[in-house]
Amino acid sequence: MSGGAAGWLRRRLAPPPLRPPGARPEVEFAGLCIRCGRCAEVCPHRALRPAGLAHGLEAGTPLVVAREAPCWLCMRCPPACPSGALAPVTDPRKVRMGRAVVDRERCFAFQGILCRTCLDACPLQGDAIAQDDDLRPVVTDRCVGCGLCEWRCPAERSAIRVRPGGREEGG
Amino acid sequence: MRARPTGPWTRRRRGVQLAVAALYLALPFLGSERIAGTMVALRLGPLDLVEPATAASAWLSGGAAALALLAGVAPVVVLALVLGPVYCSWACPFGLLSEGIDRLRARGRRWPERSWERARLPRAVALGGLLLGSLLLGAPLAAILSPPRLLTVLPLEAVSGRVLPVATGLLLLGALALELLGPRRILCRALCPAGGAAAWLRLPATWGPRLDGARCLCPDVAPCHDGCPWGIDPRRMRRADGCTSCMACVDRCPSGALSARARGSPPAPRTPAAPA
Repeated sequence: MSGGAAGWLRRRLAPPPLRPPGARPEVEFAGLCIRCGRCAEVCPHRALRPAGLAHGLEAGTPLVVAREAPCWLCMRCPPACPSGALAPVTDPRKVRMGRAVVDRERCFAFQGILCRTCLDACPLQGDAIAQDDDLRPVVTDRCVGCGLCEWRCPAERSAIRVRPGGREEGG
Repeated sequence: MRARPTGPWTRRRRGVQLAVAALYLALPFLGSERIAGTMVALRLGPLDLVEPATAASAWLSGGAAALALLAGVAPVVVLALVLGPVYCSWACPFGLLSEGIDRLRARGRRWPERSWERARLPRAVALGGLLLGSLLLGAPLAAILSPPRLLTVLPLEAVSGRVLPVATGLLLLGALALELLGPRRILCRALCPAGGAAAWLRLPATWGPRLDGARCLCPDVAPCHDGCPWGIDPRRMRRADGCTSCMACVDRCPSGALSARARGSPPAPRTPAAPA
């Protein structure tokens, strides 16, 4: 199903927010999620919050604001979802919430300052974020988009941010 | 407020309603994965309980993956077919709130004549409109606007979310304003999609108020109709008129003509109820 008129608008207007692990592609997710709040209820880190009024018809769907409360990949929310909006993923490595992107203007490592905070914060140690020869962070395809790096980045505005999406397989 | 006599069925029902409301208030603080959720999708240990209109709506807006909800719909439907849509009258916290509001604003007032027939069309239009809207807009409207969801997700969002639940709060205020200013109990009787779907969940053999016509002594205007929280005359209702098996009519019947039974079970003993 295409997601109707709202799905059409969504695809063209707003960038999707960061969704919990296991979330299906955005338009399908917005149609499936019954706003029951069970994912947020079982999240031990209070990382899932209901989308607000600005999200229109998607108000009440769960989203992650990584800079304030990232996903710790504990994988408790996918099995809590009754509607299939979150696929029952159990392996954190198979999650595809999005992918981190380094802002070279802000990143300390790109200014010649030794900093590996994002590498240390990454739950997929050494896999999702690597270092190049100049000790600068490089995000790989293994990144699942949990946002722990964005949360821990010492730059005033995070120099590494998760770009949501890439959930085509419902990861 | 004038004290009103309350019969045994209504006393029992209030107990159950308050217990359910307390459960939903406590859930966000329990932090349990075994009992979690809201009125539209509750997990109770191994059991999932999903409200049928919510599931239909998510299927129309989200596609086949929503069939995962069917396993949770089944026990709810079976329960309703045995006991009637007790979801509304015995469990739903919004129903409790709505009954409270109605008691405050309609003390001693009678229902309009044939009030249960007038609710038929709005109820069908509301449910049909929300389901059609779900399909067209790609958002499960019957879930989003479900009063039981709004009321039971509010404490959850307030406790586990990191933001004020503004959207839920505003929708809930709108619902309460309708209950206060609109026709009596307009949400529960006509607009609520959960109630609209539940109204169809009654079989001839389902538990409910049964009339022994030979013993009914009341004229058209009768305490059973006036005392029905859904504005239904149990003597003249049709199967899908939305009787929720609350049994308030049985409590109020002065002649013992109404009794709470499934079809085929023996009628009440021939002792008139004590004058209330």
